[in-house]
Amino acid sequence: MRPFKYTGANSPSDALKLLIKNPNARFLAGGTNLIDLMKEDVERPDELIDLTRLDSTSFSKISFGVNTAGVSLGATGKNTDAAHHPEIRQNFPILTKAILAGASAQIRNMATNGGNLLQRTRCSYFYDTAMACNKRSPGSGCAAMEGINRMHAIFGWSENCVAVYPSDMAVALSALDARIKVMQADGNVRSIPIHDFHRLPGDHPEKDNNLNRTELITSIEIPTNKFAAHSAYVKVRDRNSYAFALVSVAAGLVLEGNKILSAHIAMGGVAHKPWRALKAEALLKGKIASTANFTAAAQAEMTEAKPLSHNKFKVALGRNTIVSALEIALRGAESPI
Amino acid sequence: MNQQKTQLTAEEIKLFGDLMPEELAEITQSGLNRRHFMKLVGLASAGLLTSHLIGAEQLFARAADINIEDLPESAIENGVMVSFKVNAADKKVLVDSRSSLLDTLRERLGLTGSKKGCDHGQCGACTVILDGKRILSCLTLAASCEGKSVITIEGLAKGNELNPMQAAFLKHDGFQCGFCTPGQICSAVALMKEAKDGQVSYLTKDIRTKAAPVMLSDEEIAERMSGNICRCGAYPNIVAAIKEAQSGKDVQQNWLFAG
Amino acid sequence: MEEKNKSIGKAVNRIDGILKITGKATYATDYPIKNMAFAVIFKSTIASGTIVNLDTTSAEQANGVLAVITHKNAPRLNEKGGIRGGALLQSPEILFYGQHIGVVVAETFEQARHAAHLIKVDYQKKEGKTDFEKLATSAGAPRGKELADLIRGDALGMLDTSAVKLEEVYETPIEHHHPMEPHSTIAVWEGDKVVLYNGSQIINGAQAAAAETLNLKPEQVRIVSPFIGGGFGSKGGQWANLILTAVAAKVVSRPVKLALTRQQMFNSVGLRQQNIQRISLGASKDGKLISLVHETTTQTAIDSEFLEPCGDCSKVMYEVPNALISYKVAPMHMMLPTYTRGPGKSTGSFALESAMDELAYKLQMDPIELRIKNEPQKDPSNGKPWSSRKTVECLREGAKAFGWANRKVVPGSNRVGDDLIGYGVACGTYPARQRDSSAVIKLTKSGENVFAIVEIAASDLGTGTNTILAQTAADGLGIPLVHVTVKLGDSDLPPAAGSVGSVGAASFANAVNDACTKITDELLARSAKQFFIRPTAYQLIVSENIKNYQTRVDAKAPKEAEQYSAHSFNANFAEVRVNALTGMVKVTRFLAVTGAGKILNPKTARSQIIGGNVWGIGMALSEESVMDPRWGNFATRSFGDYHVPANLDVGKLDAIFINEEDKIPNKMGVKGIGEVGIVGVAAAIANAIFNATGKRIRKLPITPDKLI
Repeated sequence: MRPFKYTGANSPSDALKLLIKNPNARFLAGGTNLIDLMKEDVERPDELIDLTRLDSTSFSKISFGVNTAGVSLGATGKNTDAAHHPEIRQNFPILTKAILAGASAQIRNMATNGGNLLQRTRCSYFYDTAMACNKRSPGSGCAAMEGINRMHAIFGWSENCVAVYPSDMAVALSALDARIKVMQADGNVRSIPIHDFHRLPGDHPEKDNNLNRTELITSIEIPTNKFAAHSAYVKVRDRNSYAFALVSVAAGLVLEGNKILSAHIAMGGVAHKPWRALKAEALLKGKIASTANFTAAAQAEMTEAKPLSHNKFKVALGRNTIVSALEIALRGAESPI
Repeated sequence: MNQQKTQLTAEEIKLFGDLMPEELAEITQSGLNRRHFMKLVGLASAGLLTSHLIGAEQLFARAADINIEDLPESAIENGVMVSFKVNAADKKVLVDSRSSLLDTLRERLGLTGSKKGCDHGQCGACTVILDGKRILSCLTLAASCEGKSVITIEGLAKGNELNPMQAAFLKHDGFQCGFCTPGQICSAVALMKEAKDGQVSYLTKDIRTKAAPVMLSDEEIAERMSGNICRCGAYPNIVAAIKEAQSGKDVQQNWLFAG
Repeated sequence: MEEKNKSIGKAVNRIDGILKITGKATYATDYPIKNMAFAVIFKSTIASGTIVNLDTTSAEQANGVLAVITHKNAPRLNEKGGIRGGALLQSPEILFYGQHIGVVVAETFEQARHAAHLIKVDYQKKEGKTDFEKLATSAGAPRGKELADLIRGDALGMLDTSAVKLEEVYETPIEHHHPMEPHSTIAVWEGDKVVLYNGSQIINGAQAAAAETLNLKPEQVRIVSPFIGGGFGSKGGQWANLILTAVAAKVVSRPVKLALTRQQMFNSVGLRQQNIQRISLGASKDGKLISLVHETTTQTAIDSEFLEPCGDCSKVMYEVPNALISYKVAPMHMMLPTYTRGPGKSTGSFALESAMDELAYKLQMDPIELRIKNEPQKDPSNGKPWSSRKTVECLREGAKAFGWANRKVVPGSNRVGDDLIGYGVACGTYPARQRDSSAVIKLTKSGENVFAIVEIAASDLGTGTNTILAQTAADGLGIPLVHVTVKLGDSDLPPAAGSVGSVGAASFANAVNDACTKITDELLARSAKQFFIRPTAYQLIVSENIKNYQTRVDAKAPKEAEQYSAHSFNANFAEVRVNALTGMVKVTRFLAVTGAGKILNPKTARSQIIGGNVWGIGMALSEESVMDPRWGNFATRSFGDYHVPANLDVGKLDAIFINEEDKIPNKMGVKGIGEVGIVGVAAAIANAIFNATGKRIRKLPITPDKLI
């Protein structure tokens, strides 16, 4: 870890000013990913601006009925607090489950909502500074493309990068059509739909998302939904807990009897961003909720998958996991295991 | 860094009389110092405290309170002065901005109970309780702990009385090598509060219900303790210990002889 | 001593437990030594070639840096001194990816870690042998004599003529020990002597290797290792990091602390190698084995050979008149493999016991009955009688306790919702041996009490050595357990065997027991009194009013043990739940029934067994290190990529010990349990998965992708 100056910020605007002043400065929130990457010499800031001292401000609070009539999660609020908030459990259980599927209790106690969105990929070539990685070092190549890419993308990758984005929380946020509220340098605020927040790698895999450097996430806004009673988050991984997803699926069904009015499906572990399963959603709309229809929709979603040499299994697994999540959602929110 | 004179109880004076009689006068007059602590560690590592250990326990905690040494100026870059509470004692320490809370506890404050198993948030051996919540001290910058309160494994026992979770781990053999144990126990102690607060987990069947204190099943305990890796594989014993600590009822220990 | 007052066999709590639960147990890096400097190792990023330029300027100029040690300035060491895996900074040659190429020493850990990132290295790369898949086809015979072909009868010929035949290939990946405590050392020089605080499974082995390598006499090196944060074989031999700490401390003339990072653990301290095992079984229609062929193809380091003996179980498990057990090995530019829990037996039993399950299915026989049908009356590999063998009892008792009768015979037929449930069984074995160990017992009378100090350079890496030795001494001397103090983990103590290969308990406990017998004999000889019943040492000390007395014993295995074949045996029963859609597996129940002679402490013994079971669960379901054949590096390079089991991966585990009185291998009748606990586990789980799903997975680990 390179030497860096530690700076505390008093307010979000203060934090932004400090950031603008130093092009090598970074914000520090929970630190669960940034400190990890700094120890690996992947991230090399020379100044950290600590946002956690803003804890007492609205920046960290959970509030209801703001703007969207849904819920607003303060950016520096902890993942744990979001997951266990009674109204989130009641009305956004898919979010609770997704957060609780990620990491460990300790990490969720540290990690912030804003920071969760900014997690970097867990691609081991990205983490290893001896390896080529366009995300870490643009132009150096992608060692994963022809390498050990079992954990990598099957959708939306480019010749430059096949990494996946590791968050569970964001997969639920995608299914929930959340918006990310950010403050700009001039104090103006803009709101980015979650689907436009993260990027596909394209020619610039070094950019994980569309947040500008001089912008600061202030909150995550989640609109109300009609699928709280019929939602599920299923995470498939190499061990039963405390592991990143091979594939995960957030699914919500708005039902009228056994007819699907709308389906809301997002996938994790398959792309450089939460992968919204629009094809499957379209196919399910107006259909009867049945295993056959679930399977057909899931199958259709996976037809455009382009697996790499070691992750062909993700196509069938993605299909099965969508079906599993939809089945559980249909039965009513319950444990996936 | 200030060094306080350690007040010894009559019982502790007797213990030192037994263990290191030649040092007793110095200890009673000027308090415990680093050399005494080293000797104590030496005796403990040689197993010589076995039969006296319950009595010696607190001495250790207090001996460990003795600050080891200040670092030379060249050793601290981008220094940040941090004041925080560690096991209820006020601490003020100048740290390199890069220092993790874990390294600060271990290398600066002499609290080596918290362990470095991976240093990257992937094993839980460094788990401590920060402002009432379990966190990973390896991914926490000491600089960010200003005004906070840390409880480590060294701060869990009250006087000579073990925390019930510690006692349950001992009874159920919830460890083998013991390296992950401080983190496991801190994690489990914090888990008790989470269960009392009605927190749910990825495995909880119906999470939409109102939060109420929960008695955890074996599988719920296992899920909620999965952030603490134990390579020796003491997991079932850890689960049994936590179950016993939570329920206050004896949990059976399973082994059978046959044939 | 009356049975009820005896300590041996009782489930007493670990005597060192209180130190572990209060954070006071001192592992290698926990000593608060003054004026300590910190060292961080840096490693090669090629697998084969030569360092042509090593620029340490920026690192040396970085704040707080005291020294940068590389092959250019490292002191000359004896590379044949017994340190495993090379990497002692003696030459610019690179033999594997991640070889240590230097050490930075600085005032603080932060400064040393940072400076290590500033090193610039230029290499002359050579074509490396890093693609096992390709190299396996041209693997050759191993050099080691113990791995010569075992040939009995005409295995290949009889295979052809057998009524029922089976030939399958089973694969196991590279695994890492990953003890929770990364290998770490504090080195403190006192004149020309060095104290090394360092977790060591073999205290005297570490001392000898360090001394030889550093060109010192053994008495100039002291190893202090009272607590070890796990080892599992990786702290059996010693690796370069131990020596480099001593070197660093010498160079900067200060105590130095050096802990490997978790990432560095992947290619610093040995590993379990990748194995391809071909098993061929020939049997009669009624399930009598006729022929067994077990061919292992594996890998080793380019300059040094280590193979785990995958064929060992096949040598002794079953009565089969024709057998061929052979090995091939491919040298590669990789970290030297080493002993890893249940070396050879855990991986070998996966192949053999999976094949037995497949054969049972083919024969439409119950897999338990197939095994019992082929139970050998003597060791088929050498014709020696068993000292004891309770495999059949393990199977029968286990079947009863586990509810084997509830197993659905037709695979895939037990479905609850999306979950498929299956049962599996597999057997295992590990040799029982006693190794030379010395012990001193010191008795002190204080009032009516007699206190004992037991001194032995044994090690306790979580196995419970401290506790069982206190129990042994308490019974052997006739005093209460709390009056016994055990001193171990220090090379200044009487030399002892190591905690390796399941020899620890037998070697240490017998030494202590012999010392108790000897001290009693000596006290008795000094006494003028006549006794009708042999008195205890306690009674003699008190009745003779002796203030202090001590004796030493150099214990050896009984000679007659060589006439017998002595092993622990087990039967493992697994219940799994497999999600039919996602392929995720949970081992919901596991039962290990073990015949391992005398169980000294059922509480710590059970912990050893279930610990082995958890290792087996990891082997079966999640542990795998993947080498990128292009560079020879591990793509799995952290605890985030290499999945040791987490708490939720482990369901209900039960241990049953078969009562077994066997004084042949050693006087105490101890056979050892540390290794056997993992043997047969992966096969039992794989067999259960087959029973649950109808899918036979022959390549570990059985991750979800293999089941969908």
